Amino acid sequence: MSTAVNDKVRDTDVLPERIKHFPFPFSGDIYRYSANVEPCGKVVTTEAGAWGGRLLHVDEHYLAELKDRDEVLDRDPSRLQVLPHMRPAVWDAISTLLPALAEEYPDTMSFDREGNICRWRNSLQDLDVEFTFGDDDSLPMGPLRFLGSQIQDDLVFLDQRQDSLWLDAGVVTFAADWSVGFDVGMKFMEVHHPVPRVTEEKIASRAEQFLMRLQPGEKYRRTNWTLTIDRRLDTSTETYPNWAHDRVTIADDPALPDRLHLRVEIQHMIRLPHSGAVLFMIRSYLLPLRDIARVPVWRENMGRVLAELPNDMAEYKGIIHYRKAASDWLLAN
Amino acid sequence: MRTASQSPATGTGGEPGFRGVISVSFGAADASADHDADGVSRQDLRFASANPEALANLRSVLAHSRVGVRLVLAGPPADVHAAASAVAVCGLVDEEITILCDEVGPRVIFCGHCHTSTTTDHAIGTDVVCQGCATTLTFTDHFSRRVGGYLGFSAHAEEAA
Amino acid sequence: MTATALQTKVHPALEGSLLLEVTSVRAQTNSITSISFGHPLGEQLPSYVPGSHLVVQYGTGANSYSLTGAGSAPTEYTISVLRVEDGAGGSLAMHALSVGDRVQVSRPRSAFAPAATAKHHLLIAAGIGITPVLSHARYAAEWGASASLIYVHRPGTGAHVEDARELLGSDLTECTDRNSFREVLTTKLTTQKLGTHLYVCGPTDFMDSVLEQARDLGWPKGLLHSEAFSAAALDDGQPFAVNLVRSGVKLDVPAGVSLLETLESAGLNIPNMCRKGICGECAAPVLRGAPQHRDLYLTDQEKADNTTIMCCVSRSLDKELELDL
Repeated sequence: MSTAVNDKVRDTDVLPERIKHFPFPFSGDIYRYSANVEPCGKVVTTEAGAWGGRLLHVDEHYLAELKDRDEVLDRDPSRLQVLPHMRPAVWDAISTLLPALAEEYPDTMSFDREGNICRWRNSLQDLDVEFTFGDDDSLPMGPLRFLGSQIQDDLVFLDQRQDSLWLDAGVVTFAADWSVGFDVGMKFMEVHHPVPRVTEEKIASRAEQFLMRLQPGEKYRRTNWTLTIDRRLDTSTETYPNWAHDRVTIADDPALPDRLHLRVEIQHMIRLPHSGAVLFMIRSYLLPLRDIARVPVWRENMGRVLAELPNDMAEYKGIIHYRKAASDWLLAN
Repeated sequence: MRTASQSPATGTGGEPGFRGVISVSFGAADASADHDADGVSRQDLRFASANPEALANLRSVLAHSRVGVRLVLAGPPADVHAAASAVAVCGLVDEEITILCDEVGPRVIFCGHCHTSTTTDHAIGTDVVCQGCATTLTFTDHFSRRVGGYLGFSAHAEEAA
Repeated sequence: MTATALQTKVHPALEGSLLLEVTSVRAQTNSITSISFGHPLGEQLPSYVPGSHLVVQYGTGANSYSLTGAGSAPTEYTISVLRVEDGAGGSLAMHALSVGDRVQVSRPRSAFAPAATAKHHLLIAAGIGITPVLSHARYAAEWGASASLIYVHRPGTGAHVEDARELLGSDLTECTDRNSFREVLTTKLTTQKLGTHLYVCGPTDFMDSVLEQARDLGWPKGLLHSEAFSAAALDDGQPFAVNLVRSGVKLDVPAGVSLLETLESAGLNIPNMCRKGICGECAAPVLRGAPQHRDLYLTDQEKADNTTIMCCVSRSLDKELELDL
């Protein structure tokens, strides 16, 4: 008895950072869609540690993920979209997020602004740049690509007009099965059209109403999840033919616990103060089942959620072929 | 039936300061028939299809029009969607546009993998071969107003190789 | 003034507010004064959306005033206030401010934003209504957007006339009487290129007549914008009481305090997440009484049933609600 307790304590102590800060999304044995929105910055303690203390989070994958994003954008520039009227919103995001990042990581980053002249230093990338707010040419790679090269989050910009939100800009290299190149220019409700249950349950329209009432300075967040095979962040529609086949073969692959990852998105929603656009930030965390299983409560929660999930939701998340294999492995351990 | 009709072939680009109803018909459709507004001045535009030349002509008419104008677009889905996308760029809002879209007829399928648009007569839920990358695509009713088409994605990617 | 301006109790509308210092006071006209507020330590203030307003506290009251700047990384917030002798006292209190006074102000709130997609911004202002529209004009100039302004003011009594002339040049049309304005308006409303958005601010009857004429001339609703203070925020609501049947407790919910906050203060542990009426976590069963539903969570049918209340935003239509808590 006492040995078991000691084992558990020792186990949690030695858990690596990636598990300790992982935003495990399930609090019970059942999962349904909900507008699970809460104020940003609230720390959530989990069985393994805690997450959620900050808007922007730099972790051990920082340089690798930014390199990944850069390569995706070189291969496929359509992952970055800015309709012409969204230029002010992009600059607004730069002057909002870079200072926020510097405030959270003062030892490695700094942002200074005198009038429209801005200086950004990021020692993690050995970077010291000066640019002019509002002048696209002052950042050679363009303002949105530059911003995307500093933070791990994907960014989606929503313009508010005619009682709707419109997805009119974004840099999205780590999409969970969608295409920003196709969705750009759509209304919020049109973007969410393919999600089952969301229309009947009015979740998307409630979420849109909520976002339209956000005032500058307010910051909220929610989480969403799916499963991803291998540590593949770019699971966009564009690359679907490259990874779709894995969905069929993974169930019989003995390497399933190491290849199959729980993918959790922490989505932050903020009203940009100057342009008035809503910024939707999507940060994706991946953790293999092998790691999930090191936390006994997670193993059990996730195993039961996967077993119970209704077929339509499992189908939409693209996990229907292998969710039983995953659930069986988790619950058998 | 039709009065105040203006042929696009004569292409003057519309009457300056126009604030009435612009009826745009593609193919065999007749936008004016569905939108008889008494006492409101009207321009009728007829095009075989929403090709680049037709859209440029439409844009030129809009450039000469003024706020207060109403636009009616009638015809097959592919043409009406392309025209709606083009006029949205001119700053028109939904309330200014009436879309009379045929239920059947060619639609545009946007390949989610190579981003090529393929026009097809196939119905939603069926397969079509992408003209760009030759992938067999399936498509649903997920529609982009900017692209003017439906999202297509590889129909057999998950099947055994 | 400093003594009365330094309030210990912050007005409910000013939650999360800033304590700022008056940095300049400048007479625009005999009855309109511009007042600038800055951070006491000279720090940069939060940026704001053009057309935003500040809620400024005075004595026991609070008033909304439009900001006149473009809103990008400001070091000062500037408002222009028309003195109203027989008003509630806000404008007189503002006119009594002098440099160095400290004032509690809200963060800027946006309820009159420019349309990012507009091909042209047609701005229309009468009298003190110039203030938010000036903010729009400055923003348009900064981003190279196309804008024009019709400004109705009596000769010699217009605020910011020089600012407007400098910003807009020939795109400014000044009208000093109603008849000339009517003519100018009719011409402008019938000659705007597609994609033009109209913004109007001034006395209510002025705004109503401009909007009505625009609609009559075929302008769709989506192109019309008028200033409506505080439309985006929920109001404080009326006080009411809740009878918690299972706990055997009766609590008063004052105006400006939410039911959720009242329950929490009484030591009840109510699950909650968003505190904005969307997530559905803080639902409480209603046994008697009609809630004033202000949430986005319940369906219309559920709201009509009156059996559930979202404690964070909703209140009561009846003097008392009975809850199963």
